[in-house]
Amino acid sequence: MSNRHEGKEALPASRLSGLMMVPVKAVMQVVDVPLRAWQRLTGLTGMASFFLLPNMAVFGIFVLVPFVINFVYSMTGGSEIFLAQRFYVGAAQYRDIFDCRSYLDPSSCVEDGFWVSARNTALFVVVQVTLMILVALITALVLNREIIGRSFWRAVFFFPVLLSPVVVGLIWRWILQRQGLLNLVLYDLFGFEPYSWLTDRNAAFAAAVGVTIWARVGFFALILLAGLQAIPKDLYEAAEMDGTRRTRVFFRITLPLLMPNLIVVLVLGLIRSVQVFDEAYVLTGGGPGTSTMYLTQYIYEKGFASDLRDPGLAAAASILMGAVLVVLTLVQMAASRRNEKQGER
Amino acid sequence: MSRITLEKVCKSYGAHGVLHDIDLDIEDGEFVVFVGPSGCGKSTLLRQIAGLDRPTSGDIRIDGKLVNSVPAADRGLAMVFQSYALYPHMSVRQNLAFGLENARMPRAEIDKRIAEAARMLEIGDYLGRRPGQLSGGQRQRVAIGRAIVRNPTAFLLDEPLSNLDAELRISMRAELSALHDRLKTTMIYVTHDQIEAMTLASRIVVLRKGRVEQVGTPLDLYNRPANRFVAGFIGAPSMNFVKGSVVEVGEAATSVSLMGTTVALPRPAAGAVAGQTVSVGLRPQHISLAGDGEAGVPVEVALVEALGSETVIHSRTATGERLQAVLAGQHALRTGENVRLSFAPDDLHLFDEGGLRLA
Repeated sequence: MSNRHEGKEALPASRLSGLMMVPVKAVMQVVDVPLRAWQRLTGLTGMASFFLLPNMAVFGIFVLVPFVINFVYSMTGGSEIFLAQRFYVGAAQYRDIFDCRSYLDPSSCVEDGFWVSARNTALFVVVQVTLMILVALITALVLNREIIGRSFWRAVFFFPVLLSPVVVGLIWRWILQRQGLLNLVLYDLFGFEPYSWLTDRNAAFAAAVGVTIWARVGFFALILLAGLQAIPKDLYEAAEMDGTRRTRVFFRITLPLLMPNLIVVLVLGLIRSVQVFDEAYVLTGGGPGTSTMYLTQYIYEKGFASDLRDPGLAAAASILMGAVLVVLTLVQMAASRRNEKQGER
Repeated sequence: MSRITLEKVCKSYGAHGVLHDIDLDIEDGEFVVFVGPSGCGKSTLLRQIAGLDRPTSGDIRIDGKLVNSVPAADRGLAMVFQSYALYPHMSVRQNLAFGLENARMPRAEIDKRIAEAARMLEIGDYLGRRPGQLSGGQRQRVAIGRAIVRNPTAFLLDEPLSNLDAELRISMRAELSALHDRLKTTMIYVTHDQIEAMTLASRIVVLRKGRVEQVGTPLDLYNRPANRFVAGFIGAPSMNFVKGSVVEVGEAATSVSLMGTTVALPRPAAGAVAGQTVSVGLRPQHISLAGDGEAGVPVEVALVEALGSETVIHSRTATGERLQAVLAGQHALRTGENVRLSFAPDDLHLFDEGGLRLA
């Protein structure tokens, strides 16, 4: 009885799918013969390569070709944009970048702007990534607890991630500028005189660090939260039965078991931090002076914005920055593989 | 060694009551098994004793000392978890040492205890391995080892064998029993498997919906179940229940009408009255094929399960009652065949309509 009933319901669906298959079958019949012939000619590997072609074409046009063009640019000189109007200089751009009496003193370098921005970037990366991991970890630990309105707080911390980096920069510039919200609040509450947060070297650096942390911490906290929730509760109960102090539970159980997620956060954080541009550029414009000018801004200005435009130098600098990112990506891949292997054990 | 006493222990989560007035006295060195269906509160009860959870009301005493607000670590108990709860990033040795290091025990003493536990549980060869590199049975031993090294006054075991395959479960069951005999430490064991309960326990506590249904030795529970639930839960296959009515209640015997026949139980049914509807319980193992000329209940065989050493038959009586019988040896019975089943009146159990034992 029930089978007949199921059959009645299933019939229209099978008819519909049968109708839909008609054009598919027609196309298959048309392409079947040439594809089979091709496979006989090229073998299975050849066919696989053929099916990969569309993706490879997109990758080639939008990634590989621009990369090669960029590399060619880095071997040319002049301020002209079009390659035909530029002249070949070989490795001169790289030589100029590395032409320093002391790498610790950017002013002793021919391209001091590169080294200033590289030093700023290095300092920014160290401080920002360290603080961001710390804040993300604390946020994840708090959000993992049974607090009131946990879902609401999770959304609150993740919300800035959804904002455009330029919007983030603008919001915080309105808050931190001399006539901004922060000074207004400080004046109203405590009578503090307005302070130029974005024109003080240290305050501007702190603002760049703080704003990028605010904008990104939700994403990294989410990765750590997922890691925390994957730690079985039984382990904590076993530790409780073992009379383990809270700090020891954290350092001997939580932290080691969270390590795979922490490595992901560290490497992704490093990559994004090295690429810092939008928020910092909108917030401080690289100032005061060059105190918050980072590598990406240096490349952008050298290539497109500065009066003394030098696309070749910008290309060479971006190739060097790309090399750093490749190293970081390789580190992440190695770390992921190591984690996978440990997970299999 | 420790004696654990529960007095009117209740646990509720919000308005939802999980444990209701649990009174229990666990003697020093006993192997007590909490058994019951899923959600009956047995693990919750164990967690109250462990100190991982606090009772909503009532008292828990260990060796007479009230421990309601004593932290889990200070109760002198050790727990073996269903999932083993081994620290996956630590070696077996580190897992065993972790709790002892917390107590700042000297290294020499830690090494001595680990060596002793490793010898006892035969895990010495893989002290350097991580839990992920061990089989389920080996992990189980390590989890027990972690409890043993703490030299606890009582072991709490929360379904420790449920993740093992059937064969390993049987061998680990025997090892646990031997371990208890050797250590002579109080053990409280939670399981939903009544066979585990029957084979391991010196006393069984049957729980249902957060209440203790019966406490007793395995044979007490098997032979004299306090109610229909215990009768049905203990013993495999489950006890058969058929409808009956009391014909006559005497001082030494009780006559009951069931399945179209009248049977005289050779014992009185306290509180029963003539004409009362009752539920009559009969274990499948207590049923046999009626011999020629022997009285028996005619049934039609619905299913035959030939297990080699015994034959299980599912049958239906003329009055529509279902009867399951476990017959010793092999029997050439076929589905649809009509046979007669017999049983001794002494093996019948009488329960009133509320499920309480009458006789």
